[in-house]
Amino acid sequence: MEYILKNGIVYDPINEVNGEKKDVMFKDGKIVDNVSDSAKVLDVTDKLVMPAGVDVHCHLAGPKLCLGRLYRPEDERRGVKPKTDITRAETGFSIPSCPATGYRYSRMGYGTVVEAAVPPLEAKHTHEEIIAIPNIDIPTLPLFGNNWFVLQFVKEGNIEDLAAFVSAWLKITKGYGVKLVNPCGSEAWGWGMNVHGIDDPAPYWDVTAREVIRGLAEANEMLGLPHSIHVHPNDLGHPGNFPTTLNTIDCMKDIKKNSEYRNQTIHLTHAQFHCYDGTSWRDVTSGVEPVADYINKHDHVTMDMGQVTLDETTTMTADGPMEYDLYELTGLKWANKDIELETASGLVPFIYSGRNPVHSLQWAIGLELALTIKDTWKVALTTDSPNAGPFIRYPRVISWLMSNQRRMEMMDNKEVHSWAARKSSLATLDRDYDFYDIATITRAGPSKIYGFEDRGHLGVGALADIAVYDLEPNNFDPSINAAAVEQAFGNALYTIKDGEVLVKDGEIVKVVSSRHVWSNVQGFEDEEKRVIEQIMPMFNKYYTVKFENYKVHDHYAEPSCEYKINASK
Amino acid sequence: MKQITLTPKKFSSIALEFDELILDEIYNWDKADFDKYMVPIGNSRFPLNDYFNIEVKGSAQGPEDVKMVIDGDAGRVKYIGCKMSAGEIIVNGDADLQAGAEMTGGSLTINGNAESYAGREMRGGELTIKGNVKEYAGTSYIGEWRGMSGGVINIHGNAGKQLADAMSGGEIYVKGNCDILAGIHMTKGYIQIDGDVTRWPGGQMKNGTIVINGKLGRLLEGFESEGIVADPEVDGRQLTGRYIKYKGDIGVNGKGTLLLNAEKNRSLL
Amino acid sequence: MGYEEPVTDYDKIVENCTCAFCGSNCDDLDCLVKDNHVVAVRHACRLGASKIMEDEDQRLKVPMMRNENGELVEVEWETALDAAAELIANSVRPLFYGWSETSIEAMKPGLELTELVGAVIDNQATICHGPTVQAVQNVGYPLMTLGEVKNRADMVVYTGSNPMNAHPRHLSRYTTFPKGWFRKRGRYDRTLVTWDPKYSDTAKLSDIWIPFEENGDYEFVNAIRAVLKGKKLKKDVIAGIPTEDIYELTEKMKNTQFGALFFGLGLTHTLSKQRNIDIAIQLVQDLNKYTKWVLLPMRGHFNVNGFNIFMSYEMGFPYGVDFCRGYPRYMIGETTTIDLLNRKEADVFLVIAADPGAHFPSGANMHLVDIPVIQIDIHWGPTTELADIVLPGTFIGVETAGTSYRMDSVPLNMKKAIDPPETCREDEWIVTELLNRVKKIKEASK
Ligand code: SF4
Ligand SMILES: [Zn+2]
Repeated sequence: MEYILKNGIVYDPINEVNGEKKDVMFKDGKIVDNVSDSAKVLDVTDKLVMPAGVDVHCHLAGPKLCLGRLYRPEDERRGVKPKTDITRAETGFSIPSCPATGYRYSRMGYGTVVEAAVPPLEAKHTHEEIIAIPNIDIPTLPLFGNNWFVLQFVKEGNIEDLAAFVSAWLKITKGYGVKLVNPCGSEAWGWGMNVHGIDDPAPYWDVTAREVIRGLAEANEMLGLPHSIHVHPNDLGHPGNFPTTLNTIDCMKDIKKNSEYRNQTIHLTHAQFHCYDGTSWRDVTSGVEPVADYINKHDHVTMDMGQVTLDETTTMTADGPMEYDLYELTGLKWANKDIELETASGLVPFIYSGRNPVHSLQWAIGLELALTIKDTWKVALTTDSPNAGPFIRYPRVISWLMSNQRRMEMMDNKEVHSWAARKSSLATLDRDYDFYDIATITRAGPSKIYGFEDRGHLGVGALADIAVYDLEPNNFDPSINAAAVEQAFGNALYTIKDGEVLVKDGEIVKVVSSRHVWSNVQGFEDEEKRVIEQIMPMFNKYYTVKFENYKVHDHYAEPSCEYKINASK
Repeated sequence: MKQITLTPKKFSSIALEFDELILDEIYNWDKADFDKYMVPIGNSRFPLNDYFNIEVKGSAQGPEDVKMVIDGDAGRVKYIGCKMSAGEIIVNGDADLQAGAEMTGGSLTINGNAESYAGREMRGGELTIKGNVKEYAGTSYIGEWRGMSGGVINIHGNAGKQLADAMSGGEIYVKGNCDILAGIHMTKGYIQIDGDVTRWPGGQMKNGTIVINGKLGRLLEGFESEGIVADPEVDGRQLTGRYIKYKGDIGVNGKGTLLLNAEKNRSLL
Repeated sequence: MGYEEPVTDYDKIVENCTCAFCGSNCDDLDCLVKDNHVVAVRHACRLGASKIMEDEDQRLKVPMMRNENGELVEVEWETALDAAAELIANSVRPLFYGWSETSIEAMKPGLELTELVGAVIDNQATICHGPTVQAVQNVGYPLMTLGEVKNRADMVVYTGSNPMNAHPRHLSRYTTFPKGWFRKRGRYDRTLVTWDPKYSDTAKLSDIWIPFEENGDYEFVNAIRAVLKGKKLKKDVIAGIPTEDIYELTEKMKNTQFGALFFGLGLTHTLSKQRNIDIAIQLVQDLNKYTKWVLLPMRGHFNVNGFNIFMSYEMGFPYGVDFCRGYPRYMIGETTTIDLLNRKEADVFLVIAADPGAHFPSGANMHLVDIPVIQIDIHWGPTTELADIVLPGTFIGVETAGTSYRMDSVPLNMKKAIDPPETCREDEWIVTELLNRVKKIKEASK
């Protein structure tokens, strides 16, 4: 099938297209530079056209999500919508059911969403949920930062075997890249403890976060993976944690990058939670300045925001000790799920409120980060959904970034507490993002960060993943129309995925299966085999499942989108 | 003033669901509107007038001008008065599950018994049950830590298990007896039980007040006696007589108050 | 137990099969196969082995329907499926129950059928660990995978369950006996505790036995929590336990390095139902202020947890989900099986991989006599006596591969070891056929 998307105002930062009026043509699911006369015309004259959204970090499928849904029926009933002839029923607000997750992303014009934390032992579960989520491609990041085999290889300084292990485990879990969460801290949580800073060793292991981060980064680059290591540093959410954040990214500066497409060697996720100054919640202030300054001066790091949206939501992370702290703070129901030899995790419902001084400061810090980091290619829009807020609030975050007027209004009208203005520099930042910037932080940048050469742009050969919004950039000023921006980005005029129209006028018109996106490293097979043989005695003794039953069998990852990676040893 | 009278004429063992028939929505319906209305039963809808004789008299400007009477047994009619905010509903018989659930105003009177979940998550208005209520009256939704937050529930008969789970406001008066774990997880509000209580009122309660004028079967260790008080006053309510006053539940660092009729509970002294 | 000769006469061994019996889902079974029969099972406990090699006489082999005389007689698959589809398509309050002994793959079309006709879908949690799920929803769920216990636990507590009888390998494979990374000496490095009114087989093995009185569970745990908060207990004996013992136990629990609490139906089915679990969960949460504690319910069937997980990710609610209004609703006591049967609301009952005839209260079963019952199962059981249409399925984990979730939510791909009988059909196939036939009927009537 051929299409021509006519006369839109196109923002395609990877191809340096900045608001040009032009046609976008596609055929058989790919962007092409010409089509025949029989191509179907979609007239989008003067409307905003972008590549479909790419989300670098969300929690949308897998055991944590499921636990959240299972134990929060009071959240599930908040988003209930009856079925239609095309869609199934929807449930959930902060932790929507799988079908609702797919529909909601699709309605916002997204095409690819990364599931940011997968415990390998339960990776099958994540893939089962991906099967139940429609309309978006989903790469997954298996957790490596507290894995016992990783800790051992790091302790031995055996990077080659570590790389082989990572390569094998990406195949076994059908994973895309390497995730670290509170390295060594989640292992300490196995004993109800935590580590502080990057040089505090995991109990009994005598290995530090610095060693784990560097070790996994070296392995990542040895394999030449398309994404860099993806790091949730230690001390998340602690007042005074910005030095840990700086140490985490700075300990990476001499690691050599082995990828042509991406720029970074470390992706710092949900940076908002990692930029606090002060010593307690009483004297906490923004720690954005030193972190943003570092990022402005160094090119080996990218980040995503983790923007607080001021909603009631559900926090969930493999940072087990952090969740217990949160439980002690709020008294709200605490769930925890520790995974043998791999990781911890926890969940607590959370009510962010603009009346609360700390939450308001957190709200300000996320925006402050995005507005003080100069190069938008280093910034990605996230809410660490659902941690700082549900992903359905992205349009609202976009409206905040595009309008200093709206931000000031919120601070002046007391929609947020005065701490937002007093304890951060937000009130002094009058930068407004434009549509090109928004396209950069929601599609172009994310796909570069992930090394997705085939998406996040509208160049010939790219996937025909396209979003059209009901705004006319040439007749519209987003800096004074926040509500309209939010409305438009929340209800795509068209969402096109692989050349098929899935959303029209904000409604789902077609449902397709999501693809499981993973990295298949080539050229490390012998090393993988050797390392698996080597670790098998430990595996058999300390896991409670058989290796044969541990892996994600191919049928759990269908339809699959496999990227073959040539490891350059 | 408008009066809508529904007189039951046919029984369905599959419950009718009345959540759409709240006065806020139907105050301006005339007889023809009711005759057209298809009521949800299971996975289908059937004409309401198959099940009720319907009479509509007078007219109304808003829900507060309406009185709806279900003149007979509604033991298989769920969600009567659910989410109502104004007006009056009277049931001259039993009511099924979820009567008055999530109501925010107005009044609902059930002259018979009520099934479970009567007054669930009530936020305002007045619910009166002349007979008994089953379990979970005035409770929260499953998983929700913010339960009933306002309004009044009067139960003239007995109340079943786990009355007012996670209550966070409002008042409940039980004239009869009450089964286990009344006021469990309560954080605010007032419960007064005039009859006897089997066991363990106030388990895991953080705050609020439970008054028991009858005899209590068993008290939890999480409650610490503060001695006898005479004619205590609770938020402007004057009680008469001698009460043993407890604080609890200590297990959750609770500061709730439990007042037990001292004469009837001598064994605890 | 007498000595049994090892089986030597077999054609092949199928390794690493997952046991399709209790919620321990042991995935290390080796099935010895001869002439397409499992003749022996290595590593399984007696319960698991006997289930897998079960007596063939009880096997449902052909589709059946009740004739005018009320007898079940063999019919063609077409006839049985069409009749079942007709019943489902024309029902007003259909109820689809069971699912805990089949695969996730079979649940998928089952849910689709539920959504299509506006039915209620529910599983055995409704009569077993439903109260656990409610408690989890009220106060939280600090859990772990079983390997965490194997590798770290130095105190293991069982309450309201007797794993030595119901989950025979639980202690030996996961919690108490195996040598773990940080527990190199296995059993010797751990304290085993049982809280149970009865001196069960598990209690006999334990280092500490706390026999609280029947229905005393809530009060007992409440007292421990009060002690943790520094309260001096008033009574000498609480829930049948001397207060000194409560102080001592509390101290031990506080001072352990990694404790794990496992609870069973004995806790969910006493007077305070879900509140026993509720308060036990809160106790574990409290203990994490001092040291590490986790808990886990002892789920019974091998995929009872799987259904709850499946429903949660597909539709946001774990069991007892009512689609009659076109969207899911979850309300214990209203949208749950026993209530719908006791109230005589359900008008068609589809039961798959479950035996309500044996496990439901009599009031509920009485209603099943009055309404059409469609059974999908592999064995003749009390439910077959109530069934009007019988559709013979295949044995997941032995004859058909499929996904299940262990009690600690670890997903497993269960292999097949032998081929199913030719006249039987996979559950997934049967449910998909019903779905397609109901779709046709619905479309025709549009
Ligand atoms: S313990 Fe349970 S799962 Fe394991 S072999 Fe025995 S019956 Fe099967
Ligand atoms: Zn995250």
